[in-house]
Amino acid sequence: MNPDDRPPAWLAIARYEAAGRRRGTAVLTGLLSAFVVVFLAFFPAFADSGIDMDAYVEAFPPAFRELFGIITIATVEGFLAVEFYQFAWVILVGLYLAYLGGETVAADVESRRMDLTLAGPVRRRSVVVGTFLGLVPLVLVLNAVLPVVAYLGVLGIGETIAAERLIAVHALAVPYHLACAAIGVLASVLFGRAGIAQRVALGTVFALYMFESLTALTDYDWLGAISPTAYYDPSAILVNAEYDWVGGGILLVGSAALVALAVVRFERADLTG
Amino acid sequence: MAALQLDGLTRYYGDVRGIENVSLTVEEGEVFGFLGPNGAGKTTTIRTCMGFLSPTDGSARVLGRDPTDEAEFLEARRRIGYLPSDPGLDPDRTGAAYLDLQTDLKGETRRRELVERFGLPEDRRIGDLSRGNRQKVALVSAFMHEPDLLVLDEPTAGLDPLLQEEFNALVEEAVADGATAFLSSHVLSEVQTLCDRVGIVRNGRLATVERVDDLLERAGKRVRVAVSGAGPRAGERTEGRVEDSLERLTGTHDVRVGDGDPTPVSFTYTGAYDDLVAWLAERPIANLDVRDAPLEDVFLRFYGETDDEADDESAGAGSGEPAGVGP
Repeated sequence: MNPDDRPPAWLAIARYEAAGRRRGTAVLTGLLSAFVVVFLAFFPAFADSGIDMDAYVEAFPPAFRELFGIITIATVEGFLAVEFYQFAWVILVGLYLAYLGGETVAADVESRRMDLTLAGPVRRRSVVVGTFLGLVPLVLVLNAVLPVVAYLGVLGIGETIAAERLIAVHALAVPYHLACAAIGVLASVLFGRAGIAQRVALGTVFALYMFESLTALTDYDWLGAISPTAYYDPSAILVNAEYDWVGGGILLVGSAALVALAVVRFERADLTG
Repeated sequence: MAALQLDGLTRYYGDVRGIENVSLTVEEGEVFGFLGPNGAGKTTTIRTCMGFLSPTDGSARVLGRDPTDEAEFLEARRRIGYLPSDPGLDPDRTGAAYLDLQTDLKGETRRRELVERFGLPEDRRIGDLSRGNRQKVALVSAFMHEPDLLVLDEPTAGLDPLLQEEFNALVEEAVADGATAFLSSHVLSEVQTLCDRVGIVRNGRLATVERVDDLLERAGKRVRVAVSGAGPRAGERTEGRVEDSLERLTGTHDVRVGDGDPTPVSFTYTGAYDDLVAWLAERPIANLDVRDAPLEDVFLRFYGETDDEADDESAGAGSGEPAGVGP
């Protein structure tokens, strides 16, 4: 084969990694679709209960409202934001991506798969970048399918929702999810064992989320700026139509910086798993 | 230009010695065997030469390039066919998917031919393949781009005898086409037909580099024989007769004589074959097995038994100059 016909190494690696996740991507997308439909099915009973939900929410401690990003749960937008996006999209998917990212490089080094990759004319930089990009299709598929499912689900329970807000809540989720994956990839390069890298990545994303939520109501709220969750607020998007594009940009730049850090580290690393 | 040149290559894992002061040169077109028991430092040497580990001291040149300089070494890696000792292939992917990736990364000129030659079931999940078939995936990957230098870590582990012959033929063809091969093994007999020279590594140090023929001659044969009647055919039955006759036979070592009839006798033999045959012809033989002496026996006979001796030997070696290794 003519060397010029070959794709760049980072692209070859990204494609191989992504292809290996095809089934996992389909299963996760299916499960989360079912999850959003089930939650939406609860909403009519909830809304018709006659309870003043806003008064109920007001009664929550402020820290609790902050933790779950609650603005209102009386409207379908507020309900979706709190019950689905804040929980499934911010926490669940965020943690899962950090966990997946944590496995990547560390598991390959541990199993000596990395030896086989780096035995060819492949720069270590290409391996880290390709590995990270291999997680992108999962993020894109999740955020392309779920708004459609959620929109149809809302219509299905006889409610309406602004399609624009649903699209925005997913468009802005992409940089947030990439940042979580980047935290995972960095952990994966820093820690030799995949199991440890995964736990560190998971713990980091969760700790940052807690930290940002708990400092938000204090004088130290500026400290929360180190957490990816500071730049993605599903409730603000769905309830108030506030789209934080700058926050999205910060997340993209932050993700790139984390991957760059991983590259620098990996270029100097010994492959001792 | 040497295909592979190691100068005082040293690698420690913290305080633990991986390899120390390994110096050797493999010429272009040569087949070099890197022999030693498990844990001797073979894989550490190979992974340092591939740039996966950085040397603690000393240096390596592989196809004339420095493995610690990624930009410089990139071109060399395109010309290397590498087989790790335990290829950790992703069990959830098929052999074809893996070979596709490797094709994208380094190209191929004879992938299909090799897959057919080895009868590799490419489309099955690697996790469902036998150990031999998994090794085939890695072998196809190592040879498919017609590399100039083959770096093969324990290539014959897990291969059945038929496959091993196929593997030997593959290496011989590649070398006939101008390639160089550096292969490690812990079993001399598995690589002796391929190799021109072997280096023997023990406890992280290179004990010796020798031509295979010389080594085999010095190593000798392990002879196991069961002698009926334990005496000459004439019928003289004297206690210790077998031992006495063996003492008169030059080139016997580690003689062991068991009890019973037929009497099991074993020894390592480095003498002339005619004398051995004559000795055997003198007595009724119930069973006979002659094979190459195991590598471990060779180590023990030639290079001493204890690690302490080896440590003392190198204690005076300066850190700057690559000290001479081996006896």
